[in-house]
Amino acid sequence: MRLPDSVTGSFLVVLGVAAAYGGYILPPVPGQPVGPNVFPLVIGCGLALCGLAIAFGIGHSFEEEEELVPFEDGQAAAPPPQGKLYGLRALLPPALLLFYVFAADRLGFIITAAIIVYITSTALGAKWKLALPLAALSPFAIHLIFGKLLRVPLPAGLLPTPW
Amino acid sequence: MLKTLIDAFALISTWEVIISIFAASVYGLVIGSLPGLSATMATALLVPVTFYLSPIAAIATIVAASSMAIFSGDIPGALLRIPGTPASAAYADEAYAMTRKGQAELALGAGVWFSAVGGIAGVLSLMILAPPLAEIALSFSTFEYFWLALLGLMCATLVARSSPVKAIAGMFIGLLVACIGIENPGGIPRFTFGLTDLFGGIEPIPALVGVFAVAQVMRAMLAPEPPPLPRRKFGSILAGQWRLTKLYHWQMTRGNIVGIIIGVLPGAGADMAAWVSYAMSKRFSKEPEKFGTGHVEGLVEAGASNNASIASGWVPSLLFGIPGDTIAAIAIGVLYMKGLNPGPTLFTEKASSMYAIYLMFIIANIMMIPLGIAMIRVAAYILLAPRAAIMPVIMLCCAVGSFAIGNNMFGVVTVAAFGVIGYVMETNGYPVAAMVLGIVMGTMVEQSFVTSLIKSDGSILPFFERPVAAILAAMAIGALLWPVMVWVWRKVKRPQAAAATSR
Repeated sequence: MRLPDSVTGSFLVVLGVAAAYGGYILPPVPGQPVGPNVFPLVIGCGLALCGLAIAFGIGHSFEEEEELVPFEDGQAAAPPPQGKLYGLRALLPPALLLFYVFAADRLGFIITAAIIVYITSTALGAKWKLALPLAALSPFAIHLIFGKLLRVPLPAGLLPTPW
Repeated sequence: MLKTLIDAFALISTWEVIISIFAASVYGLVIGSLPGLSATMATALLVPVTFYLSPIAAIATIVAASSMAIFSGDIPGALLRIPGTPASAAYADEAYAMTRKGQAELALGAGVWFSAVGGIAGVLSLMILAPPLAEIALSFSTFEYFWLALLGLMCATLVARSSPVKAIAGMFIGLLVACIGIENPGGIPRFTFGLTDLFGGIEPIPALVGVFAVAQVMRAMLAPEPPPLPRRKFGSILAGQWRLTKLYHWQMTRGNIVGIIIGVLPGAGADMAAWVSYAMSKRFSKEPEKFGTGHVEGLVEAGASNNASIASGWVPSLLFGIPGDTIAAIAIGVLYMKGLNPGPTLFTEKASSMYAIYLMFIIANIMMIPLGIAMIRVAAYILLAPRAAIMPVIMLCCAVGSFAIGNNMFGVVTVAAFGVIGYVMETNGYPVAAMVLGIVMGTMVEQSFVTSLIKSDGSILPFFERPVAAILAAMAIGALLWPVMVWVWRKVKRPQAAAATSR
């Protein structure tokens, strides 16, 4: 996911121009010199300028310091396997959260949560001996804390909890 | 004064508060000690729980969990050379070198003892600084608030350990996120793209949970599992700490002061305080050659510093609603939720609540000593828990917690989206703390900016006419120009250096 600065910078230019334009077309408040359109205009212009600067590599010299974080060399001992699809694993957590949004009302909290736990755990390298009991127990524990003690209305769905 | 103090005692001596402090302390210690789970993340995941507590108990959990997590990050740093929280990264090498020399007790003891001392120094700064600043702040108009907010945002970009241009870009992204919704000077739906869910704007708390928790789980997907902790017997942990306090009292005080200053600066938190203090300790030490070989001096100073910054980070948060660090940004969200809206009047109208906050900080830092020692002794067992068992539970907490804040599924979508944004920004060197500050302060910046412009009839001049506003303006513009000056200076210097070392 490490993209070149020219790509992220250009993206920011586009985002900034879009924000400035979006602010510009907002209707002004009658009889007032400044309305809701001023702030997005200012921010959009600023963002576009920053994007330009980043795309041209201005300020890049400040970034060298980042390499010094000792956190890195503890991990550098075992380089992760580099495959084509390996980087996409990072998208698993947000994808599972979206799955929760769509499935929780139909399947209910317990079943959806169990699926999420099982997949996350397996993706992180757990054997089924760990992932299965975890998927079976942790949804109930979370439901007990949030659903029972804190009274968050979690969807019951197909499998209502015993309490 | 005495009556307020008694009221404050009455506020915190309920079972709810006592149990909250204790439970949050244990929670903070455990999360902080697990590598990859930061203190900010611990606090962000607590927010949905605080929603269902009384105001004082809610703040108590935040105070206790954040203080404990910052100390607890030292434990895996010393034993495994993997900092539990970014705030311990500065001296993890040093602490680990001490462990290899057989001084693990001394390293961890210094962690717990000087953390507690630093925390209490931070509270004292909060108690001393906040009331007089509140007096001054009462006379602030929107012009001053605008410049103050801008100064806060600029500070956050200055101290980021990255390119200042990228930090400013991150700040603009945050401000842009804050533009979403109908809460703007015209009351017009802005950047909502016709989605009713976006009318209310992006809630800061789900955004924070996404940026700090989901992005962390995403990173864990690609990083290898940290090694297990070797089990070891510990001797007395506090032995020798009093001797160290006397020997390094000057370093400790300097660490406290640096931590307090960095905590007060918006956007700069415990990790920055630890880096600066460790570097300072090495720079001014009588024996700098010992640094890196297992020398306790840097640990004393940096440990005293990162905990001091936690409490002092509350000063600008309580006074102006400008977060001193990312943890304080979360705390501000909780304060608003609980009707303790930040502002100078908080110190006059809700004085007993303020005293209760001070007391809770002191109690949390005193409790840190026994609980911290217990944690050090059981750390080997807790760190046995595999990552594959912890991360899924954190995912569930993210989903349920973000749903609980507004009881709607859109919160979960926000968390997922900000997880991706935070992950992409972090991997590309854009500091997420700057964006978080932008999101939290966006509405305030816009309101003070637009109200000031309306008052001045569109003219820029009144922004500089009031004396305090002019000073703040000069500081904010100076902060904006500072990276440019450094850049120009380096450009001028580099050809000379290149000429000198030409090969």
